[in-house]
Amino acid sequence: MSFDLNRAITGRVWKFGDSVDTDSINPYYLYSTMAELKKHTLESFRPEFPKEVKPGDIIVAGRNFGCGSHRPGLVLKEIGIAAIVVESASRLFLRNSIALPMPIFIAPEIGKIIEDGATLELDYRRTLARNVATGATVTLRKYPPTIEAIFESGGMAAFARKRYLAETAS
Amino acid sequence: MGQTLAEKLLSRHNLAREPVKAGDIVDARIDGAMCHYHFMDVHRLAVQAGFTDGFPRVWDRDKVFFLIDHHQPALSQSIADDNALIRKEASRLGVNIFHDAEPGIAHQMILDYGLARPGELVVGMDSHTIGYGALNAGATGITRPDLMYAMLFGELWFQVPSSVKIVLKGTQPRYPIAKDIMLYLAGKYGDDFAQNMSIEFTGPLVPQLSIDSRACLSTHGVEVAAKFAMFPADEKTDAFLRGRTDKPYEPLVADADAEYVREIVVDVDEMPFVVAKPHQFGNVVPVDEVKGTRIDQAQIGSCANGRFEDIEIAARMLKGRKVAKGVRFLVSPASQQVYLQCLKTGLIEQLIESGAQVVTPGCGVCQPKVGFLSAGEVCITATTRNFKGRKGSLEAQIYLGGPLTVTAAAVAGEIVNPKEVFHEL
Repeated sequence: MSFDLNRAITGRVWKFGDSVDTDSINPYYLYSTMAELKKHTLESFRPEFPKEVKPGDIIVAGRNFGCGSHRPGLVLKEIGIAAIVVESASRLFLRNSIALPMPIFIAPEIGKIIEDGATLELDYRRTLARNVATGATVTLRKYPPTIEAIFESGGMAAFARKRYLAETAS
Repeated sequence: MGQTLAEKLLSRHNLAREPVKAGDIVDARIDGAMCHYHFMDVHRLAVQAGFTDGFPRVWDRDKVFFLIDHHQPALSQSIADDNALIRKEASRLGVNIFHDAEPGIAHQMILDYGLARPGELVVGMDSHTIGYGALNAGATGITRPDLMYAMLFGELWFQVPSSVKIVLKGTQPRYPIAKDIMLYLAGKYGDDFAQNMSIEFTGPLVPQLSIDSRACLSTHGVEVAAKFAMFPADEKTDAFLRGRTDKPYEPLVADADAEYVREIVVDVDEMPFVVAKPHQFGNVVPVDEVKGTRIDQAQIGSCANGRFEDIEIAARMLKGRKVAKGVRFLVSPASQQVYLQCLKTGLIEQLIESGAQVVTPGCGVCQPKVGFLSAGEVCITATTRNFKGRKGSLEAQIYLGGPLTVTAAAVAGEIVNPKEVFHEL
């Protein structure tokens, strides 16, 4: 389940505003199964999203993405979202995305270079996001090595398993 | 340079035993890990990661707390089945602190049973874990994979947050205002002004604030995006913990020359009653701007406002008054302990005589579990959040207010300035 931070990602953009909440991403109070969640994720912001989203699409959003509860963005991974790029992420959503892991990138200027439906290229190795049509770029924030290591291990659960095996083997 | 509370906390718990500063990443020793009704999701994560028989151990049987809170009593067959599995796992792992036959909100039960103490680092699989900061604990919400790691090793990674100081000035009126303070802050500075930061509450109002009010303020730290939201420990902290814990504790005290990225001063004497309009916590206006908005439902409860003082003010104001005809006024104590206190002091009798409904302690009223709203309905609630769909229909409108404002609306049948309904204030 790990993903390679060094592999570039290109996809069609779904653009959202500020303070998109985890109740909307993951309305599990109303829909208890993953199959149902996939049909309703983010509909409170954009009713057409769950109907029209395609695997490989990218979410671009404003500040405080994923505010609210500790619930993860697993459903976004399940519907095939390739990456999330935000001006800022809610602390717990960011921590969840690292732990899952789910590609998430912080780019405070992202809203300025890309419109809904346009194609975005993400190159974490060069810490750049690029609007494919216009060529405009903004910087992606680099993660500290601890966080890169969790991403590369395949998330916190795999990280925990690896440590447990190493400790019990000795 | 001196240290903030968060820097003191994470220096004290740093496995490398070195002082840390804002921005550093540390592996920290934790003092407690709270797990609520979603434990089976964590169990399944462990199985997927290769622990085919589930968790091989917990790091400390006295420091992993299991509470089946949101889902007690079981709300559906699938929940009942998961709860049964949680009981089996808790027994197999030898978890000693397990509240499975008691309704209530985990966060209030952690406070009731003295499981979070000053100076401790406590994590929990729920965003409102941050509320234990009311007792000077460094507490914060973590994710399910993080909890898996924490349960196995008693350690977790943290980035040391920068800190914002909130100076509270003025006089505590004869009714709770903690909710109004947090809504006011979110309205003025934005719903993420403390993103990833540690909030330190200080100032001349703090000694006047009850533990209930402090718990409301700390709990709502997450609604302004904070990692920690801590109060200093004082006589009220000690008095609250007396009889709840016999373990010693060492409070955190910030240094006078600690560095803060921001200082915000709130004079509560100058603060109006405020409400958050649908559908965000930061969508705040003075209550007078929305007065006359008719309501179908009013609520008091949750880990933010289900405490004794929140229910006491409702009962006090309802004395000699009735809930408006057709308005459903739901009051849900945060825990059995709170419920019992309300019962012994006659508050429950007053609520029922005045036409309110008392709901079993738990998270239900803050979510679409108890008291769903239909399309077009309007609710004003002293609970944690008002996101679209939080109470069922995406076409319902949810306003947030303090318990006094909610009670005034319940009596008037519409949103109103409490001073226009309760002339004795």
